[in-house]
Amino acid sequence: MLPAYFQYSMRLLGLLVLKFALTAPAAQAQSVDYVRDIRPILAKHCYECHGPDKQKSGLRLDTVAATKEGGYSGAAVVPGKSGESLLLTALTGTGDVPRMPEGRPPLSEAEIELVKAWIDQGAAAPTDDAPATAKTGGSKHWAFQPLSRLAAPAVSRPEWVRNEIDTYILARLEVEGLTPSPEADRTTLVRRLSLDLTGLLPSPAEVEEFLADGAADAYERLVDRLLASPRYGEKWARHWLDQARYADSNGYTIDSGRSIWKYRDWVIEALNRDMPFDQFTIEQMAGDMLPGATSEQTIATGFHRNTLRNEEGGTDAEQFRVESVADRVNTTASVFLGLTIGCARCHDHKYDPISQRDYYQFFALLNNADEPTLPVPTMQQSKEEPALLADIAQVEKRLGEVEANAGTRQLEWERKLTDESRAALPDALRQALAASAADRDEQQKKLVSDEFRKVDPELVPLLTVLNDLNERKKQLAAKTTSTLVMKERDEPRETFIHVRGDFLRRGAKVEPGVPAVFCSPEGAAAGEPGVGGAVASRLDLARWLVAPRQNPLTPRVTVNRVWQQYFGQGLVETDNDFGTQGSPPSHPELLDWLAGRFVDGGWGMKALHRLIVTSATYRQASVYRADLAQRDPANRLLARMPRLRLDAETIRDAALSASGLLSTELGGPGVYPPQPEGIYRFTQQAKFWKESTGGDRYRRGLYVFFWRSSPYPFLMTFDAPDANTACTRRARSNTPLQGLTLANDRVFVEAAQGLAARVLREAVSPSDLERIRHLFRLCFAREPSAREAARLSELLNNQRQAFAADAADAERVAGTLCPAEIPAVESAAWTALARVAINLDEFITRE
Amino acid sequence: MAGREMPAKGTPSQVGRALKNCALQAQTRRHFFQDCAVGLGSMALAHLLSEGRPALASSAAAAGPLAPKATHFPAKAKRVIYLFMAGGPSQLDLFDPKPKLQELDGQVVPPSYVKNKRFAFIKLDAKLLGTRRKFTRYGQSGAELSELLPGLASVVDDVTIIRSMATDVFNHGPAKLFANTGVPRFGLPSMGAWITYGIGSESQDLPGFVVLQSGPRGPRGGAPLWGSGFLPTTYQGVPLLQGPEPILNLASPSGFDRRRQGDFYAAVKDLNSQRLDAVGDPEIATRIAAYEMAWRMQSSAPELMDFAGETAETLAAYGAEPGKPSFANNCLLARRLVERGVRFVQLYHTDWDHHGNNDTHLGKPLEDRCRETDGPAAALVKDLKQRGLLDETLVIWGGEFGRTPMGEPRDQMGRDHHIDGYSLWLAGGGIKPGQTIGATDELGFYATEDRVHVHDLQATVLHLLGLDHTKLTFRFQGRDFRLTDVGGQVVRKLLT
Repeated sequence: MLPAYFQYSMRLLGLLVLKFALTAPAAQAQSVDYVRDIRPILAKHCYECHGPDKQKSGLRLDTVAATKEGGYSGAAVVPGKSGESLLLTALTGTGDVPRMPEGRPPLSEAEIELVKAWIDQGAAAPTDDAPATAKTGGSKHWAFQPLSRLAAPAVSRPEWVRNEIDTYILARLEVEGLTPSPEADRTTLVRRLSLDLTGLLPSPAEVEEFLADGAADAYERLVDRLLASPRYGEKWARHWLDQARYADSNGYTIDSGRSIWKYRDWVIEALNRDMPFDQFTIEQMAGDMLPGATSEQTIATGFHRNTLRNEEGGTDAEQFRVESVADRVNTTASVFLGLTIGCARCHDHKYDPISQRDYYQFFALLNNADEPTLPVPTMQQSKEEPALLADIAQVEKRLGEVEANAGTRQLEWERKLTDESRAALPDALRQALAASAADRDEQQKKLVSDEFRKVDPELVPLLTVLNDLNERKKQLAAKTTSTLVMKERDEPRETFIHVRGDFLRRGAKVEPGVPAVFCSPEGAAAGEPGVGGAVASRLDLARWLVAPRQNPLTPRVTVNRVWQQYFGQGLVETDNDFGTQGSPPSHPELLDWLAGRFVDGGWGMKALHRLIVTSATYRQASVYRADLAQRDPANRLLARMPRLRLDAETIRDAALSASGLLSTELGGPGVYPPQPEGIYRFTQQAKFWKESTGGDRYRRGLYVFFWRSSPYPFLMTFDAPDANTACTRRARSNTPLQGLTLANDRVFVEAAQGLAARVLREAVSPSDLERIRHLFRLCFAREPSAREAARLSELLNNQRQAFAADAADAERVAGTLCPAEIPAVESAAWTALARVAINLDEFITRE
Repeated sequence: MAGREMPAKGTPSQVGRALKNCALQAQTRRHFFQDCAVGLGSMALAHLLSEGRPALASSAAAAGPLAPKATHFPAKAKRVIYLFMAGGPSQLDLFDPKPKLQELDGQVVPPSYVKNKRFAFIKLDAKLLGTRRKFTRYGQSGAELSELLPGLASVVDDVTIIRSMATDVFNHGPAKLFANTGVPRFGLPSMGAWITYGIGSESQDLPGFVVLQSGPRGPRGGAPLWGSGFLPTTYQGVPLLQGPEPILNLASPSGFDRRRQGDFYAAVKDLNSQRLDAVGDPEIATRIAAYEMAWRMQSSAPELMDFAGETAETLAAYGAEPGKPSFANNCLLARRLVERGVRFVQLYHTDWDHHGNNDTHLGKPLEDRCRETDGPAAALVKDLKQRGLLDETLVIWGGEFGRTPMGEPRDQMGRDHHIDGYSLWLAGGGIKPGQTIGATDELGFYATEDRVHVHDLQATVLHLLGLDHTKLTFRFQGRDFRLTDVGGQVVRKLLT
């Protein structure tokens, strides 16, 4: 089907052709030679934009073959039919194609006439249809170059260096004449490590143990212990789920719930097992296509099922399917390549070497999946189902046998029917029975047979059992959790360029492939996918993403994002744009060294974390330095550790862990902790939110059920992403609404009550000072200063007085968690103190 | 940078005190104020010009990201109230009478009008539908309005009606995003976020961008309609709830009376200040200021919601009943918000999607929506004018698109979504009043005269606020983004 605009152009062109035919018949008469007549015209007017260096709209005109193939809108020349050739439409500026060359004087009528005549005479190519010579080569941009492996620089203070990271950091600081900060004190380090690796506060006992451990490798052993904790997977899964745009509902306007938490749990489990990042990538991108794919590998493909689904009436299903695929393209590029290629959906990328053709080739790789729902039975359920199916099969087999000789039994039954029992039957049935079997019509035969089946002593029990079994099968299916997965189609969809991004305007057909800029001979020699159309499927793409000789971006982007979590910003500050418009790396050699080490070490995530957190760079103090505020205000050079406000979920988890309320249950469906009233007044559909009780009330933040159209308000107040598109880096805002939330939200009041109870129960002596010290250890892993203790002591006495005057308020504030033997006034006063502690800047900050 | 120093004299703010004796004071202070587009000198000037409103009394607290900032050129409007009619009101039954459409009522739409067009629900052979509503000319301007809008008729000389609006997308969610963020996708900042990012807010006791809602459910699209996109979340719209707590977690926890809550905030401030002394991170100073604002909001927001000070006449004019959620209450609340210096107030009223189902047709459902909104919106315009606020307050009324000239017969008669020509009105804030601008063709299909694209409207709103829409940009992922994407022309005819 021709696009509508094209038909329109054709109509205008028809008139034009007529005009030329009348006014300039001369050229038609003579034979046109491409090399002599046409190539010079095209070279003069067209090559600049459609030649060897640039191919705007995917079109190059320096060979006849390329001209015939055309650009995104299809063939530029149809031999013998100048009226149907876009080239002529463009040169004359008819239809809705801008007149070419755009913004320059048009070709002369004689030139146009020659081109037209050449086409009408068959658009013959010369024997040597070789392309013109390009002026420029491939991309020189740093991010597309292979990983460099330079020797580490020399530094003048090697004693500061704990591992190679420090060499790169220190070398740069020395160039700038800056000195690194001293190592943070051990209490800061243990809290920092615990928050960074597990997202929880260390217990006073853990702090004590670390402070008391005088061994040289005490720090490294602490790191190993934290990395081995299942809490590690939960903490780092959250960062990945941001990128995977994970949520528990469909989004857009109707926003019904969906079940895909199995995917979330898969991520936690994979991280805890330290699945290498290349495998982690391949299974999420194309686990369903791996030979003998396991259920787990299929669940992993939920990564690309976290797209939104529009359930609004009157929508075009294909439009939103295309939107989903586009989101998968954008997410893949953003998460693994650190590139924003979304702009190439409508036109060639303005800055980066990604053409619109590249975009749709990439699109084609992700365009062939169906989107089924996978039942994921539990172990118990998976045992139950085969047993049930076997029973059903057995009953059905027996039923078949019994059915086979039902006729004989029916005759017997009919024969034995007494007149009395016949009289009790409905008229129609009685009449049917009165007739001999041979004389009955179809309806009568059925009547009799149905009646017999109701009473046949052999059939009835079997049918009852079968019904029962089928009912159990249905119930089992309803109980069984399901999750959303990808499944490659046997018959691939064809992919066309969407002219100006409009899926209704089909341009040229494209074959699947990765952007041309990535195709390196070196990788091909090493047997990596990626050259000469070798990347032809989603699985190829998955493998190519983690083939570093072909694609050096994935390791760079991945180590940069991990770095960003620890230091607040990546070595490449624009973590989502490694293209020419992004910021260059602050320490390019370090970035490449880390990426190389990551790949050479087998893509181990825990090893990467260990490397970073055991560096001297990471172990620096975070105290603000006046000299740096001038010299390096953004702290790009890392002469100190940055202070970072905790992520939303970590704030919740920290408060729950300090209070001792935290449930450590891992995985499972989303939970519904308390939230303020009236949240769903504003959503199109009322959302389910039955406040969780028991342990589920105190689960970690990443388990909170996430409705896209009405997210849990606490999360949004603290900058959690909305899960509509991939989020690779969260904002860190600092707003009054955050103050209101921590001060007054029920979750944090409960946490304060739990924290007070813990202080009252656990402090080594019941003295005020000892309890204040314990409060500090629980929240900040450190001792209070004299001033801090004095201020809290003042508040304590003041609150004791305030609550003594109002027993009812004291009861309310004390809650039910504090030890029963402690008077309510005392519990209330300590709850007031605990509440202050949770609200301090230091509490929600990783120092 | 001299203009950005703290004042040498006057009441030292609490943050100022916290900074005293801090060895890193100078650097900290500089960092704390460096993101502020204007220094305290010009802030003091703004205070003098603020007609006595106590907008900038506490300088340090106001010097956050929401502090008032300089405009690109002198502004005509200082604040915006955007009455968003979610679902797409039918312009043909409210604003844009078409005699030719009446004449051809019931006939199949001429193919020339719908060539290459797609609609959400109806087919291309749908039949034209003339309006059943009576239109009359009103006011000195003689604007034609439907009988369903008697309220608007009473203020018609104060408003300007645009009959030639056009947008790009025809599903609700994307179209609402387009109207609010300039693109039909998630992830970009909304108009209110751009504006508070650009020029801050004059309120220090309330958020700069507030969202109010009424109707049976929330607008399609949800929170991203008032999101901050890639701008800092400080600029996102704050949706107020209707009820005892207009802002979440505004009430102190049970058992903490005002004194104990005050003790709480004081202790938090003192201990945070000690921490600031110890580590010197200016982010702690911001946190201290944020908690001070939170404490002020615990007092200011309940006062804001308390209509006790409003006269019976005012309540009656709006049709507001204290404690009963309604569009009328929200209109009154909007006036109270802008009085208190809030920069951008957006009201959503839902259920304008009149396709022709039993509860969504052009009979009673349309009448009900008009009854709920027409009187209160007109009362708002009158009230603002009477209080001298209309000159500097831009009021916008409109939906994400309009409805088709063809009928959509379902259970009853309705119309489908239509993007090529619909209507919207504006008042105050530098809008030239008493005009009807633009026109659609004789059947009401396409805007044929003075077409105003959504980006043009957005450019005009920013212009009225003293902002050049091509200069209000934010660099994100290597590109300078703006509200009007790559389009937008200020509609000069709209301006005084």
